[in-house]
Formats: sequence, C-alpha cells, structure tokens
Amino acid sequence: MSPILEARGLTRRFAGLVAVHDVSFSLSPGEILGFIGPNGAGKTTLISLLSGTLAPTEGEVWFEGRRIDRLAAFRRARLGIGRTFQIMQPFPGLSVLDNVAVGALFGRGRGQSKLALARESARECLEFVGLGKHVDHRAEDLGGPDRKRLELAKALAMQPRVLLCDEVMAGLNLVEIDEVIDIIRKVRDTGISVIVIEHVIKAIRTLSDRIMVLHHGEKIADGAPDSVLTDSRVVEAYLGKKRS
Amino acid sequence: MDLLLQVLVNGILQGGLYAIMALGLALVWGVLNIVNLAHGAFIMLGAYISWYSFSWLGLDPFIGLPLTAVLMFGVGYAIQRGILNLVARAPMFNTLLITFGLEVVLTYLAQLVFSADFRTINPSYSGRNIDVLGVTIPVVRLAASGLAILLTLVMWRFLLHTRLGRAIRATAQNLPAARLHGVEPRHLYAVTFGLGLALAGAAGGLYGTVSQINPYIGATLTAKSFAISIIGGLDTPLGVIAGGLVLGLIEALTTLYVGPTFADVASFGVLVLVLIVRPSGLLGRTA
Amino acid sequence: MRPLRIPLILIVLIALALLPLYGSDTIVQFGISTLLLAVLAQGWNIIGGYAGYPSFGNSAFYGLGAYGVGIAMVQWQLPFAVGLALGVILAVVFAICLGIPVLRLKGHYFAIATLALAQVMAAIVSNVELAGQNIGLVLPPLNDDALFYELSLVLLVAATLTVWWLTRSRFGFGLIAIRENEEGAVVMGVDTTRYKVLAFALAGVFSALAGGIHAYWITFLDPESAFDITLNVKMIIMAVFGGPGTILGPIVGSFILSAISEFLSSEVTSIAGLFFGVVIVVAVVLMPRGLADVARRFHRTGWRYFIENIRMHRL
Repeated sequence: MSPILEARGLTRRFAGLVAVHDVSFSLSPGEILGFIGPNGAGKTTLISLLSGTLAPTEGEVWFEGRRIDRLAAFRRARLGIGRTFQIMQPFPGLSVLDNVAVGALFGRGRGQSKLALARESARECLEFVGLGKHVDHRAEDLGGPDRKRLELAKALAMQPRVLLCDEVMAGLNLVEIDEVIDIIRKVRDTGISVIVIEHVIKAIRTLSDRIMVLHHGEKIADGAPDSVLTDSRVVEAYLGKKRS
Repeated sequence: MDLLLQVLVNGILQGGLYAIMALGLALVWGVLNIVNLAHGAFIMLGAYISWYSFSWLGLDPFIGLPLTAVLMFGVGYAIQRGILNLVARAPMFNTLLITFGLEVVLTYLAQLVFSADFRTINPSYSGRNIDVLGVTIPVVRLAASGLAILLTLVMWRFLLHTRLGRAIRATAQNLPAARLHGVEPRHLYAVTFGLGLALAGAAGGLYGTVSQINPYIGATLTAKSFAISIIGGLDTPLGVIAGGLVLGLIEALTTLYVGPTFADVASFGVLVLVLIVRPSGLLGRTA
Repeated sequence: MRPLRIPLILIVLIALALLPLYGSDTIVQFGISTLLLAVLAQGWNIIGGYAGYPSFGNSAFYGLGAYGVGIAMVQWQLPFAVGLALGVILAVVFAICLGIPVLRLKGHYFAIATLALAQVMAAIVSNVELAGQNIGLVLPPLNDDALFYELSLVLLVAATLTVWWLTRSRFGFGLIAIRENEEGAVVMGVDTTRYKVLAFALAGVFSALAGGIHAYWITFLDPESAFDITLNVKMIIMAVFGGPGTILGPIVGSFILSAISEFLSSEVTSIAGLFFGVVIVVAVVLMPRGLADVARRFHRTGWRYFIENIRMHRL
C-alpha cells in the first residue's frame, strides 16, 4: 500500500541552528505513528514542516502521491492535513461550538458553505471527543484537559485524512490519558491516519503501530514499539551514555 | 557637483536631527512595547517650551535644552503613571488608541494656548554659516545635528552600561523576574517613558532652531519618527542614526532630483518598502 | 438578533428616512454628515472590528471616492453614478495593490503603515493634473439636501446589512478566526491573505462611496479636504466607542458622538477635536469593548464594569 504521507530528506535550518536534519519517513493509510524524542529534538519543527507552518530548507513532503512542500499551510489543510498545537490556541471570543465550526467551514475540499450545516458537523465532532456538554460555553472558559479535546475536535471538523497531534496528552492525569488514547483509536477507526508526538512513553507504546525517534533533529530509530523502545541508541538518547 | 554635495550634506545634517527625533519613540517602543502615536505632538510641545524659554527668559535654545528635557520628563512620568499605565496589560490596540487620543488632545490644546502662528527660535547666531569645500553649513544646523548624535550615543551607553539602564531593559524583557529582584515596575515604566519624552522634548528644542513650529507638526513628525525607527530597526539605539541618515538623504535627494512635494512621498514609500521586505529594519536581527 | 429588536430598528429606520420632511435644513445637513461618518465607521468595523486589523488610513479610500466622482463629472462630463463607480474601482485597486503587502504586517505595524499611506495621499494627488492638482475640482451644483440625505441613509443600510451578513457567513467566520488567532485560522484552511484583502477592499468600497457622496454634496474637493486625515480619528473612535465587531455598535457610536460634538461646537468653537481626543482616552480605559459590551454586561455587574476594566488591564 502506498504511503499517504511521506517525508524525504527534510531539513530545516534556522540562523545557525539545524532543527531537523535529513529526516525521511512514511505514514501508511490507517496507521498510528508515534514520534518521540527528548526535548528539543525537533519534533514540533517536523510537524510544522508537514503542516506547512514552516517551509523546509531542503527536502520534500509528499501527500497522497502529490508533492506539497511548496504549498501554503492553508492549502495543505484543505487537502486534508489537520494539526493540533502543543500550546492550545482556541479562538477566544467564540463559543466552543463555533470554534469547531470554523474547522467545518474551511476544512477539506472547500468545506461547508452553510453555517447551520457547519454547526451540525461541529456538534458531532464535539460529541466524538466527549465535549458534548460544553457546546455553548465560551472557549476561553474551558480547563486544560478540555482544551486539548477542543483542539482535537477542531482538527476533526476539517475532515482530515491525516491528523498531526502535537502533545495532546501533556499535563493530563492517567485517567484523562486513557480517554485520549481511546479518542485517537476511534479517530483511526474512521479511516484517518495519525501521527502522535508524545512524551508519555507508556501511552505511545500502547497506542502506536510504529514509533519513530528523533534526537538532535535526526531520526535515530523507526519500527515496532517494543524494538524501538529497547534500542540502545534510544535509551542512550533519553538517559545519556551508560557507564560501562 | 557642488549642488549635489550641498544637498548630501544637508541630508546628513537633517539625518542627525531625525535620529534624536526618533530616539525617544524607539526607546519606548523597543523597551516598553508602547507604540506612541503622539510622539510627534510631544516633540512639538518640547519645541514650544524651548521657544518660550527663549522668548521669555532669554535662554539660549542649546543651553536651555536640559530645562526642556527635565520638564518633558515630568510630563512623561505623569502621563505614563496616570494614563498609559491603565492599559499596559491590554491588547496593543488600546495603547495605540489612547496615544492617538492624546495626540488629538495635545494638538488642540496647543492650538488653543499657543495659537496657530508659525514660529522659530532665532538666537543671535542663527544667520551665521561656515563654508567647507564650497558647501554652506548653517552653524545652527551643525550644532543641532552634532548635539543630536551626541545625545543618541549617550543614550546608547546609558542603556547598556548603567544600572538604571540595565534595570529598564531587564524589566522590559522579563517583568516577573524583575519584580522578584525588587524592581517597582510602575515606577520604572514611568521613568522610561519620561526619558522617551525628555528625548522628544530635546529633539523639539533642536527642531525649533532649524524649522518652523506650529501646533500641527505633530502628525508628520510622528510618522517620520516611525519611519526612522522602523528603517533603522529597534534592536539598538544606534538604529535611529542609520534610519535618520537614510531618511535625511532620501528626502534631500528626492527634493533635488524630483521635487520638494515628493520628499514626503519618497520617505513614506521607503517606510512601506522596509515594512514589507524587512520589518525588523536595517540594523535589526533577522525576523 | 433578539425578536424584539427588529421592529424597533424598523421604526427608527422609518423615522430617519422621513427626517427631511419634518426636520429643519440644519438638521438634515447634520444628518448627512453623521450618516456618512457612520458609514465610515461601519466600513472600518469590517477590517478593524471583525478582521482585527486596525486601519488608520481609510481616509485614503474616502478621498479616492471623492476624486472618482470629481474626475468623472468635471473632467469627463459623466453622470454621478459613473463617478461613484469610478471611485469604487479606484478604492478596490488600491486595496488590492497596497493591501497584499501591507496586510502581511502584524497589528501595530499595519496600523503605522496605513497611517503613513493616508498621510501621503494628499501629497501624491496634489501632483496629478487630472485631479486638478492643488486647486482641486469644482463640481456641478445640485441643491437637494434631501436627496443626499436619503442616499447616505441607503448607503448606511447597505453597509450595515453587509456587516450583518458577515456574522452569518463563512467569510465573516473566517475574518473572526483571523482576528482571534490568525495562525490557528491558517492551519484550519482559511486563506488569510485573500480574506484580509477582501475585508480591506470591502471597507474601502463603503468609504469610497461615502467620499463620493460627500464630494458631490459640498460641490468641491481638494487634496486636503478629500483626504482629510481627521476622519480616521473620528471613524475609529466612533466604531470603538460604539462597539467594534458588533453590527449596530458603530452606528450608535457615530450618532451619539456626532450629536455631542455638534452640541459642543455650538457652545465653544474648535472644541470638537479636543472632545474626541478626550473621549478616546476615557473610553479606551473604561470601556474598551465599546457601548455594546457595556449594554450587555451592565445589568449584571453594574458600575463595577468600568472598574473591572481598569483592574484587568493596568500594570
């Protein structure tokens, strides 16, 4: 099966600093791919290169057989790439429902043109992530964990084919983490391929079909969760060199 | 050739004056993130203070500059502490609007109190020139520009090397940390803004010796100060020197080769161009 | 909108439309000025209130509209409607050509750029021969204040209906998303550049139409009066005082502030400018979200509303 999303030799330099260096990987349809790596490894930068928020210094991004690294971020969103942000960014003046409705209005294809229908879709997405009760609340009134779900709902309303999740589990307790794992599994079951960046190793191990590890901007491992997590290079990256 | 040289020298002299005009704005903007749309009106106020000191007290405009500066510092401290403080944590747009309102108020008050006549400050030596290589340089212009550059450099040293200067920068960069170190932010913000207005006042005093003053010069001076700050970049006080020189030279050359009415158009054209191509300015860090 | 409001609005609208029948000449003239200012405020509302890009230079569009009418009628002997159309075309071209680069700038840089643009318009136009240069143009007189009044009222209704449409359309939602979080809007598929330019152009169209009507009404235009930069002060304060990002806010703001300013002018000349300046300062401190927000929250929090605003925003 051909990959739905592919990165080829992605490199991103900032003045003097190489954040991502020659990273290549592919995401298969219906797969959940986990990204892990110590802080500063370049995970968020890589996601930004995929979503179009940043342009690569070198390398290519391919989506459904099309090259997209030259496309503006909003066009990639319209093609079906959705993303959540690590630092949650709702639209503060809008209600929870309308926050998600924006995703429905502008998502894949040309989105809904009718506000009423967009709000319908938004309602469904909010139910899907478990925020059904908060539909009419102001987005800024939501607490931390609920804001994470709102981010997911917004991205889902876009009807993406690929969802890039940037640390959706940060700051959540064990129960909340399990709930998010369930939601992401449900997302995959609807046919969406998912990339999940996380620090919570246990969650990533249960959730991912495959795990990729970044360290200092480079890919140092890519494979089945158990083999990757016991790979000596990965352990070293997280814990430092073992004393012999 | 002689004409070109004269025009270039005029441009450079004007550039020095422009630098000090913009310095107060750049300081307050770069350090406090306050975009002061009334800056030009404060320059105008400083000019009038110098004019009245000269007319009523016989105080030479250059010698009396500290008086103008001190008075304007007081005004600035009061305005920041009493008015601008109230919107310090609101969206930037609120500060824009408030200073916009202040500009309008100042202009109308000036019109009421000072009347709309044009005035200049004319010390006894204002007609004297010196001739260098065929170029005529009015003594007053030379003094004004020289003093302007000097003040800019002094300001630069102050911000980088004195305790107060460092306290100001520290507060601007990290308010909670500064508080933990015992800095009283409201006082410090007011001092900084006062400094900004003191510089504006000094610029006004110098401006009054080489150009005409009237209540309405505020808007244009504000726009030019912005142009200079943006062209030169806000990261270092030296940026205004670069920006001032660029603007002065562009205006002088445009006046010579295209026509006087296009001087403003050219300088604003450069402003818009710089904003589009490189918002951090010529000397600023890359965006 | 709550159901009670619509009949109320219709009554006010009818009363306004019939004003020339029962009002004195002075009142009708005051009405025309106020209605045109309200149009400017509404136009500003689209780019500043809804899209969140505060333009300090919409006076440029106003002047372009005035000159569109002036050039068409005086230089080319074309009818008024064609003049208005020309003004609109000039405004749209201006909005697109200058909007695309300038709307890429962040909030206050955008404000400064538009401020600078507004200042040079008069200088540029005073060099254009077709526009009568510094001397200006004198239009054929039309002594029918009632007509101009009704035209202005129709324009205001059109502008307000457009803003109303914004609140229920995909375009409007896109603008609000841009205002609230532009980065977030982009990754959700909003073509932010196109939308911002469209909003800017829309504001420009209404401002130009207002300028065109005003020019024909006073029968004269020159660079200084057509590109009157004090209009920027007025339209912004009226929109902000009334309530930016609301449908009726700018209208209420313009009506109230114009009335007070008119009253003050009759008592003390040249105090109007001072008045606006003071209003801006006080309003921004006490009620930064305008009267609309005050009306909404006052019955719940009372006078504490104003104190709350200060406490929230001061250092």
